Amino acid sequence: MATSSVAHKLDDVPPPAPRPELVGGGPPVRPNMPLLNNARLGVIMMLGAELMFFAGLIGAFLVFRLSAQVWPPPFQPRLPLGVTGVNTVILLFSALTVHWAVGAARVGQTAVLVRQLGFTAALGALFLAIQGYEWARMIHFGLTTSSSVYGGLFYTLIGAHGVHVIGGLIWLAVVYWQARRGRFSKKDFVGVQTTRMYWTFVVALWPVLYGLVYLY
Amino acid sequence: MLRWLPEDVSTYGHEIDSLFYLIYYITAATFVLVTVLMIWFLIKYREQPGRRAIYNHGNTTLEIIWTVIPAAILIVLSFMSVSTWAKIKRTVPPTDFEIQVTAKQFNWDIAYPGADGKLGTDDDVKFDNDVHVPINKVVRVHLKSTDVIHSFFIPNLRFKQDAVPGRTIMAWFEAKKPGKYELPCAELCGFGHSGMKGWLHVHSVEDYQKWAAENLAPKAQ
Amino acid sequence: MSESAVAHGAHGQHAKPSFISHYIFSLDHKMIGRQFLFVGLLMLMIGGILAMLVRWQLAWPESPVPGLGFISEPYIYPGPNGGGIIPPQTYNALFTMHATIMIFFVVMPIMVGTFGNFLIPLMIGAGDMAFPKLNMLSFWVGAISGVVMLSSFFVPGGPAAGGWTGYATLSAKAQYTGVEWGQHLWIIALMLNGVSSLMGAINYITTVVNMRAPGMGYFRMPLTVWSLFITAILLLLALPVLTAALAMLLFDRMAGTSFFLPEGGGEPLLWQHMFWFFGHPEVYILVLPAMGITSDLLSTFSRKPIFGYHAMAFSMIAIAGLSWIVWGHHMFISGMNPLLGTAFMMTTMVIAVPSAIKVFNWLGTLWGGSIRLTVPMLFALGFVSNFLIGGLSGIFMASTPVDIFIHDTYFIVAHFHYVVAGIIFALFAAVYYWFPKMFYRNMNQTLGKVHFVLTYIFFNGAFFPMHFLGVGGHMRRIYNPLQYEFITPMHDWNIFITWSALILGASQLFFLGNFFWSLFAGKKAEQNPWQANTLEWSAPTPAPHGNFLTTPTVYRGPYEYSSPEVTEDWLPQDKDIGASTAAKAH
Ligand code: HEA
Ligand code: HEA
Ligand code: CUA
Ligand SMILES: [Cu+2]
Repeated sequence: MATSSVAHKLDDVPPPAPRPELVGGGPPVRPNMPLLNNARLGVIMMLGAELMFFAGLIGAFLVFRLSAQVWPPPFQPRLPLGVTGVNTVILLFSALTVHWAVGAARVGQTAVLVRQLGFTAALGALFLAIQGYEWARMIHFGLTTSSSVYGGLFYTLIGAHGVHVIGGLIWLAVVYWQARRGRFSKKDFVGVQTTRMYWTFVVALWPVLYGLVYLY
Repeated sequence: MLRWLPEDVSTYGHEIDSLFYLIYYITAATFVLVTVLMIWFLIKYREQPGRRAIYNHGNTTLEIIWTVIPAAILIVLSFMSVSTWAKIKRTVPPTDFEIQVTAKQFNWDIAYPGADGKLGTDDDVKFDNDVHVPINKVVRVHLKSTDVIHSFFIPNLRFKQDAVPGRTIMAWFEAKKPGKYELPCAELCGFGHSGMKGWLHVHSVEDYQKWAAENLAPKAQ
Repeated sequence: MSESAVAHGAHGQHAKPSFISHYIFSLDHKMIGRQFLFVGLLMLMIGGILAMLVRWQLAWPESPVPGLGFISEPYIYPGPNGGGIIPPQTYNALFTMHATIMIFFVVMPIMVGTFGNFLIPLMIGAGDMAFPKLNMLSFWVGAISGVVMLSSFFVPGGPAAGGWTGYATLSAKAQYTGVEWGQHLWIIALMLNGVSSLMGAINYITTVVNMRAPGMGYFRMPLTVWSLFITAILLLLALPVLTAALAMLLFDRMAGTSFFLPEGGGEPLLWQHMFWFFGHPEVYILVLPAMGITSDLLSTFSRKPIFGYHAMAFSMIAIAGLSWIVWGHHMFISGMNPLLGTAFMMTTMVIAVPSAIKVFNWLGTLWGGSIRLTVPMLFALGFVSNFLIGGLSGIFMASTPVDIFIHDTYFIVAHFHYVVAGIIFALFAAVYYWFPKMFYRNMNQTLGKVHFVLTYIFFNGAFFPMHFLGVGGHMRRIYNPLQYEFITPMHDWNIFITWSALILGASQLFFLGNFFWSLFAGKKAEQNPWQANTLEWSAPTPAPHGNFLTTPTVYRGPYEYSSPEVTEDWLPQDKDIGASTAAKAH
């Protein structure tokens, strides 16, 4: 660069010409075409945070689990493995339906999109209902938050997941409603994509929790 | 700064102190170096009419030098710390002198083994806040807490260990000078944290025997 | 949400927004930044006044504080002449709330909230944040968390009194501190505060990744943006762990679990691990923006490119990465396995190396410069000086054997005030520096210099002697040092510190006065008063909603000061002076 013999004077440099699309409205300017659009990137960030939240809880779980000689502790009710296993399958299936929803949105089949979103929400609700029923039974059998660390961990981890399922159901309901009103098109279905991202996270988390809390 | 260190009366305290001095000299030298350079640059390179700043984006060789030298110093420092730490916290030398210290809001419960020579049995002899030990004897402390976290701190012995409810932590010290040393609690433990303190009485061997005969003798039986 | 992000170029000509949408529920990142600033400064006053009460008690234990007598009995005991005596329980609450407010409601909202919001879009040439609504929400959730935190002063039992670290079991059972709702609210407020910060972090990261102006490669970003970007990543990953720990603590207190209570099978040290796993990244969350801002200011006012730009960026990345594996250095004496202590000592020593790079590169930046000692520059230099002292004292504690003695003494208090309260210097530097851009007026430089000199002297007067006390064994968090025979001989230092702290506090009135006076009556600012290169100075003053009249194109790095290519000693990032520079690296 040292070769440039004449130094410029800043004031001599002409200012850039105003871009008409900015001054007079017009189509939005996207300087760089990003790899992932804002909404999807934002949701990835959010899921990263969620992951750390659950990592914190799971870390705490492992601290107790690894230092325990017998697990579950004596005189504590066993967890319902079978029912929850079936429930796991139900939830996993909902990951498929939400995936199909995105597929339908991509080709602009609004009716299919609406139906698949509906299925997903219904499966999620079913999962939650079964969980709720099992919880009621567990409490009845004497597994409470205060009965042992075991109980506390069970309700905290599974409860935290349950809250996320509820959040997902609300999210699904909003998107379902938007889809019915024709909010999405072949070109613009980011809302469905982000729904899939979040729901897939909630679903994928479940087998991990099931494996740790119920089976391990 | 160094003269504020309380007198050291333990067998391992001097190792802590010499590490302290070493770090003090290193950091003091670094501090002086950086500060002097900074002030010098601020004066020498202050804005003056007609002079333009050097156009320079950095110097990789220099940067490598000032990365490697501190790194080397710090790594050496940590290796020097390892053995002292291991000596104090990771091992307890053989001893036959044991006491149990149970912290509670806001007292130290001190227990000596009773006639059966064992701690934690019914005939333990108990005191409030006063620890009596003989000189030149490794004292093994079984540290417990019944409520919140406290910290057993004897400045003159360079001794500090948190007492955690639900655990018994082993720690040790060996005092080499008779005297009476303050024993504060160093971890926030509630409104009475300040003022939660006891005394460590280090006795010569004869004095200790006298004290033990008077106080540890099985009076209850 | 994506459509609102791109529609901003056009916002400039909208009809004048209503008061509410302009000042209260604003979606403009600049206004949100200002909102964070005002709230943060208010909290600084509160946190500072709590510190003054702490200092009063330490210098003149149990003597009545003038004017405090109006508070009712269990919290303050009546004294003569309308004064009030601070009881031990209140003392614990004072420093707990002091620290919590300073860290979560002063340094985070201002360094991250204000400057992150105000500067990121402007410095990368974007019209706004990626998610303006989320941004607004972030401010308001943060504000609510502040209200919840402050409301704990007014509940029966008083505010949290378990230290800002809230160690279990002390914090896990109301009977241990006698604080019931105060601690609940502390937990809830910190959770809300975490949510607010997370929303901010998501916004910052997305904005930096997706919305840089053409030509603004990652390695042409000002170090301020780098630091805030890295900070946002740390926030994103660290805060949820605190949230998890806080949730468990709240359950222990309210739902009968016993995660941290041994009598129910819990583990008190688990809290410390979770807290510090968050807590150590947190201290770098606090300091990184200060480092980035300092780098920018040193370069601008030395009229010289930053020394080793890449090393500066990578050292921040290294600090951020290493900050995840050093948390155990807070727990050397906690009863944690001593072998782990050795491991954490090693990692802690290593993390000092990237900090060393920063300090030396700052020196390198000054070397050969043409240094203008403006007020922002003075404060930036003050930050370097404080960080140097605080960083070096960190080495003492990093050595495990030395920490046996100085852990939980005033040596630690000295260390972290030099670093965390040292950040306040960078905070002032940034306010003085960007004030013309934020409020379109200049602050008074003479008053600023007086503010700097007083603050610098009395800051050191207040915090340096704490090293002596710590070396003498003076414990932290004690209500009355005169209860200890070995501390009593050092008591004069406590009085000296308190006088310094009181004058330090009073000196801040110069800032407050200057700030508010300049806000309304300061000299009108030019567009680029400091002749700086970064993009925010290319935007008009006042910058409209949408920031730039034209999307700037970036031709070079942010530090081309005194470049031979132009006669002036600065060269803005978006000036097109011909093809030769366009190809130039960073
Ligand atoms: C912004 C905040 C901040 C920063 C940047 C740091 C930086 C560092 N801290 Fe600090 N720390 C705190 C905030 C911070 N700390 C707080 C708030 C606490 C107390 C919490 C509580 O208990 O309430 C604490 C406590 C704390 C402890 C626990 C002490 C105890 O409780 O017993 C330790 C122990 O290792 C430690 C170490 C360090 C180290 C090694 C660094 C290093 O990163 C510093 C590196 C910098 C330098 C070293 C200076 C520049 C370098 C050179 C000029 C090169 C040459 C140097 C050498 C060769 C030595 N800190
Ligand atoms: C960002 C963090 C931050 C900041 C800025 C400060 C700032 C200050 N701190 Fe703080 N402090 C902490 C973080 C911070 N502190 C932490 C984390 C702890 C540990 C708590 C624990 O143990 O749990 C602590 C603990 C702590 C203690 C130890 C208490 C104990 O262990 O018993 C002390 C004692 O001196 C103290 C003093 C001060 C002082 C004098 C200031 C001064 O710098 C403040 C100066 C500012 C002002 C005074 C406000 C502005 C002034 C005005 C608006 C004008 C009006 C005011 C007057 C006229 C007085 N602090
Ligand atoms: Cu016991 Cu502090
Ligand atoms: Cu740390």
